[in-house]
Amino acid sequence: MSSVIPTPEGTRDRLFGECRERRYVQKRLLGLFQRRGFGEVSTPEVEFYDLFLASGNPMPQEQLLKIIDRGGRIMVMRPDCTTPIARVAASKLKHLSGPQRLYYDQTVFRSDQEHRGGRSEIAQCGVELLGAQGLRADVEVLALAADSLRAAGLKDFHIEIGHVGFFRDLARALQLPQKDTETIRSLIEGKNFAALADLLSPYRATVPGRALDRLPYLFGGAEVLDEAERLFPNSGAIDYLRTLYSSLEAAGYGGDFRFDLGLVHQIDYYTGVIFRGYAMGAAGEVLSGGRYDGLLAAFGPDTPATGFAVDVDAVAGCLSPAEPIRPTLLIHYDPAYLSAALAALDAAPPGTAQLSPCATPENSRALARSKGIPTLLLLDGAGERREAL
Amino acid sequence: MTTKRLKIALTKGRLQEKSAQLFERMGLDCTPIREPGRRLVHSIPNYPLDAVLAKAPDVITYVEHGACDLGIVGKDTILEQGRSFYEVLDLGFGRCRFALAVREGSNFYDTYKTRRVATKYPNVTRRFFERKGMDVSIIKIEGSVELAPILNLADAIVDIVETGATLRENGLIPIEDVAEVSARLIVNTASMKLCKEEILRLIESCKAHLEG
Repeated sequence: MSSVIPTPEGTRDRLFGECRERRYVQKRLLGLFQRRGFGEVSTPEVEFYDLFLASGNPMPQEQLLKIIDRGGRIMVMRPDCTTPIARVAASKLKHLSGPQRLYYDQTVFRSDQEHRGGRSEIAQCGVELLGAQGLRADVEVLALAADSLRAAGLKDFHIEIGHVGFFRDLARALQLPQKDTETIRSLIEGKNFAALADLLSPYRATVPGRALDRLPYLFGGAEVLDEAERLFPNSGAIDYLRTLYSSLEAAGYGGDFRFDLGLVHQIDYYTGVIFRGYAMGAAGEVLSGGRYDGLLAAFGPDTPATGFAVDVDAVAGCLSPAEPIRPTLLIHYDPAYLSAALAALDAAPPGTAQLSPCATPENSRALARSKGIPTLLLLDGAGERREAL
Repeated sequence: MTTKRLKIALTKGRLQEKSAQLFERMGLDCTPIREPGRRLVHSIPNYPLDAVLAKAPDVITYVEHGACDLGIVGKDTILEQGRSFYEVLDLGFGRCRFALAVREGSNFYDTYKTRRVATKYPNVTRRFFERKGMDVSIIKIEGSVELAPILNLADAIVDIVETGATLRENGLIPIEDVAEVSARLIVNTASMKLCKEEILRLIESCKAHLEG
């Protein structure tokens, strides 16, 4: 007796149209990355667990898909693309001088809780710009992020930019104890307005206390920079975001970008700008990135770095579904006419013609009818004929 | 972006009436929620808002996946399921204790034996005892948790306590609070960004009409 074996939780088969939708997004993204001077790298799907521990920003262990190798060492299915690329940069690329522009088209693996409808396999296309910092590097990557979502076919999208420096400035100015800093940070990240206000009530009278209290509300257009400036003047982070935005705006990207000064995620990992892309039709972010100048030093020379990853399937899910391709031509051929049959097959638009495996024209006709193919092409000693069915 | 009709998921049962009362104080016509009939999606006639009623864990699931933009759900469920969404407001109602309760006269802590704890909230319970550095064996119970100590299946329970009457009647006493529980307003992260005006307007209106 045969039994049906399902795919593991969080994984799925993709058929025809679903593959075309994903490929379309990938093709558009990779084409753009190449035009912008990025070169492809590919890293193993399994890495030693130690690599992600050494990065200093390990994902919670229960979210990693683990394998024990023959020697008893713990390996994980790649949970993110950036850490392995940092490893490559610190080893194989360390002799190259100047900035490195790298892109990848890879899958990351996460072990999600059961029955949450989450995905264990996430297709990502992304870039890393290593060895460059400052306005030009950040502008290049942000413009590329916006162009990526546009190239992939999204219309109703925007990218929100934050800067970890603003939160750090405020926490420093308040001289918050380390433990409170983390609690406040997570309340801001969760936009937990009420709990944040309670926790900050002892600091309400101070300038940075009031600014922290407002931080989860500081998302939207460039006006949030004005409000941030009024709440806490002379923050280098806000000045920098303003400069960044003027450059993007002058280049015609003004409409693509907004701000969220409450983006204070993974604050030990990100060191400067941090950004997230949102699109109508997606329940979460479709793109995420930022500057992580500290990561490469975990594996080699201290090197500034920035980059982003696009969630390919989240983007594809916002686009209109691919039209199914229907075969319109069945080719019945005598084996002596194989080359003519193949030529006819190759000349037809992809996916619209197929060869008939039948030995007699009658069987081919029946096959065409059963598959709903409207035209039969016959190639044999009697010449080339087309029959409408 | 264009004005959008928001979708909110409300927790059935304990929090449902209080949620409707809050909406009414905000001036929303809640007739469709109060007289749901067979319909599952209830359109508020005088506000761009559709409401669905769901079990507490499902409220979180709907909001997390963006099937609903907002939700009203107890902090107990958030602590148990907690994942990625914005928890924007403590609505103040549905307040109750989330407590560790033991059989009256028993000595829960004064033993080296591994304690058995029955609960509907295994994650919360695990974290609670992890913080204490204590090994316990957790038993997940779906229905009346109070039954487990009576039947000698567990030494203690972790559960929400509204009046304490059920506990007392069954010879149990709460000995320690695990967390403060009340209803929370939660928001899908992408909705917050894509419908900022509409969502902030609703949050501010809720905030202005909280009890007390």
